[in-house]
Amino acid sequence: MQDIADSNQTALSMKMTVTKDKLVESVTHVMKAVSSRTTIPILTGIKITASLDGVTLTGSDSDVSIKSFIPLSENDQQNVTVEKTGQIVLQAKVFSDIVRKLPSDTIAIEVDQRLITKITAGSSEFTLNGLDPEEYPLLPVIDEEDNNIVSIKKDLLKHVIRQTVFAVSTSETRPVLTGVRWNIQNGKLDCVSTDSHRLAQRVIPISTDDETKYHNIVIPGKSLNELYKILDDNGEEPVRVIITKNQILFQIKNLDFFSRLLEGNYPDTDRLIPTDSKTTITLSTKGLLHAIERASLLAKEERNNVVKLRTHENSVEILSQSAELGRVYEDVPVETIEGEELKISFSAKLTMEALSRIDAQTIQINFTGAMRPFVIRPIGDEGILMLILPVRTF
Amino acid sequence: MTKVIFLVDMQSFYASVEKADHPTLMKRPVIVSGDPKRRSGIILAACPMAKSFGVRTTEALWEAKQKCPQAVVLRPHMQRYIDVSLSITSIFEQFTDLVEIYSIDEQFLDVTGSTRLFGEPKSIAKQIQKMIFDEIGVHARIGIGPNKILAKMACDHFAKKRESGIFELNHKNMQRYLWPLPIKKLFGVGSRMEYNLRSMGIRKIGHLANFSLDILKKRWGINGEVLWQTANGIDDSPVTVQTHQKQKAIGHHMTLPYDYGTRKEILVILLELSEEVARRTRAKQVMGNTVSIGVQGANFDSPTGFYRQVKLPFPTNFGMDIFRAALQLFDQYWDGLPIRGTSITLSNLQSAHQYQIDLFGDLVKKERLSEAMDAMYSKYGSTAIIRASSLTNAGQVFVRSQKIGGHDK
Repeated sequence: MQDIADSNQTALSMKMTVTKDKLVESVTHVMKAVSSRTTIPILTGIKITASLDGVTLTGSDSDVSIKSFIPLSENDQQNVTVEKTGQIVLQAKVFSDIVRKLPSDTIAIEVDQRLITKITAGSSEFTLNGLDPEEYPLLPVIDEEDNNIVSIKKDLLKHVIRQTVFAVSTSETRPVLTGVRWNIQNGKLDCVSTDSHRLAQRVIPISTDDETKYHNIVIPGKSLNELYKILDDNGEEPVRVIITKNQILFQIKNLDFFSRLLEGNYPDTDRLIPTDSKTTITLSTKGLLHAIERASLLAKEERNNVVKLRTHENSVEILSQSAELGRVYEDVPVETIEGEELKISFSAKLTMEALSRIDAQTIQINFTGAMRPFVIRPIGDEGILMLILPVRTF
Repeated sequence: MTKVIFLVDMQSFYASVEKADHPTLMKRPVIVSGDPKRRSGIILAACPMAKSFGVRTTEALWEAKQKCPQAVVLRPHMQRYIDVSLSITSIFEQFTDLVEIYSIDEQFLDVTGSTRLFGEPKSIAKQIQKMIFDEIGVHARIGIGPNKILAKMACDHFAKKRESGIFELNHKNMQRYLWPLPIKKLFGVGSRMEYNLRSMGIRKIGHLANFSLDILKKRWGINGEVLWQTANGIDDSPVTVQTHQKQKAIGHHMTLPYDYGTRKEILVILLELSEEVARRTRAKQVMGNTVSIGVQGANFDSPTGFYRQVKLPFPTNFGMDIFRAALQLFDQYWDGLPIRGTSITLSNLQSAHQYQIDLFGDLVKKERLSEAMDAMYSKYGSTAIIRASSLTNAGQVFVRSQKIGGHDK
């Protein structure tokens, strides 16, 4: 695309104009990957590449890399004109602040042999010292031919992320748990995350051929959080997912989102999810969530954030107490209740986080005793499972 | 309001208790020493009479015997000393409820509120001294100060050297008494710190007291400030009753009977220490999630070793959890050279009455296992159930079960 050898002969090594809106949008996207705390100094910059078919911006913190492409024209609208192909790396923070504040609708950028970059917009002119683009690390090259491509609708992908990434571990004691584990098999994507105190699982059908199989793909929770922010609400659009040995690439229109995968074996969580049930209740999702929220007002300051649940004939009682503040009881009506009587303590925080990610009106909870994990499933959506481990009390 | 703090120290505590218990030894030099066949064969205490021959604590028994061949050498009776120490505490409690046990033979007293009942501080000190001597037969030395640090230094540097065994150090007289002392006499200054301070021209406590606080803070942070405060007799820490109950960590150290050179031998000890730490953690009804291991290399001339810690993903009081974490650290940091001692500590403690169950920790199962073992220990003693590896030569459980703090009960 670029012809650097040729451009070295002339005074300018890059020259182009771009519409402000498009540039701001692209800069906002790639900034999500740029970290000010990086061990590789060049990564504090954004790489700008002007080629014959458009402009590409790249940002990276070596875990996540984002590439945003602005085509020459889109929908009969001219975005970019490139007079001289080339590339430059500019300090990300300064560049993004400048671009946002520039006065006119088009921005001209030109770079000379000494990497001095002139940004002109209207009557305003900035001259920035650029960094050597040759020093910028190469993004992983993913050969589409060798990899099966999985396609997921954007809004579904957003749901999957929202319903799993909250449960990843924030502690580095078991690094693999800081990611969400993806398995792809038999036309299903199975996502699991756990911090060992709770677990979230979401299974969705995806359109792949039967050959496509991936196991133990662990995507850093941090990457998925960034991806979630970039995915806009244009839900029907497909996201192409390409998985290699140590990278995953999400391709959306004009945007490539690369993430490193976590190494190590994700624990086999299937055998940890109880299949039987000794006490089963069905009740309103919001009803339970709000009762626990109220009870947690007193539990907040206590260690483990404990609230208790006790089953009655036609209701469950949520209670909580703090030695200093006082106590709270609340009866929550249930639709059905079956099985053994139960008294169980659990973290209000973990349970609220799980419940708030369930969109269904009604849930079923399966308990297998006060010291065993319990499982929350929305009624009418088999694909979601939230597991909470109780708090042992005496 | 100015407080009145005492530090009461028992003169040659172990030796004095032995003499009090055996009146026939009253007029003879007495030495309490560990087992000379083992590493612990050093002088633990010597009565003033033995000390007048030049016998010092912590020297080897054979050295002491050369200086004072006529000395009566006794083995320690650790349980007896603990009992005596506790009865001394109850004497103190007749004077004030604020008694802090600092060590087996040193206790802090806050008698600020007792002066109306018992008279001037010096008079209270005399009453305490007399009562301990009459009831226990041990001579007590008492440092008096407006806070713990001055009381401690009053006792160590002045009360011990005076016939009366009582000395008061306060902000009025510390310039005269404390400041002319060499810097190494300052509480908290070790040989390394002494060297550093001397190289800055600080040779006496008074030099440090008048030195720029900013420079000290810059160089040593909080530590620098604490030393400066100590030199100026500033200390806000209160006398706290039963400091030991709010323990922050539970640990055990073992000096090995001989140098252990192989990983296999060392592992036996690590496992024994882990189980012991776990058992004590359970007895205190707590759990911890940080495991540390310390290892001392055997070579005295070029000391090696390390002290490292690791955080567990869940709190525990189960021996194998502690052992696995310690082993991981050991394998990572051991240089392969023989070792003379090792320690294992569990910290970051929390109550065991309530804990978040963990998906991978098997905490409930471990709890039941531990419960069963503890029931056996409490019924049949600490060697009722032991690891098979403890039956090898490296094992020390049986030896240790007869001891407190590495010495005979």
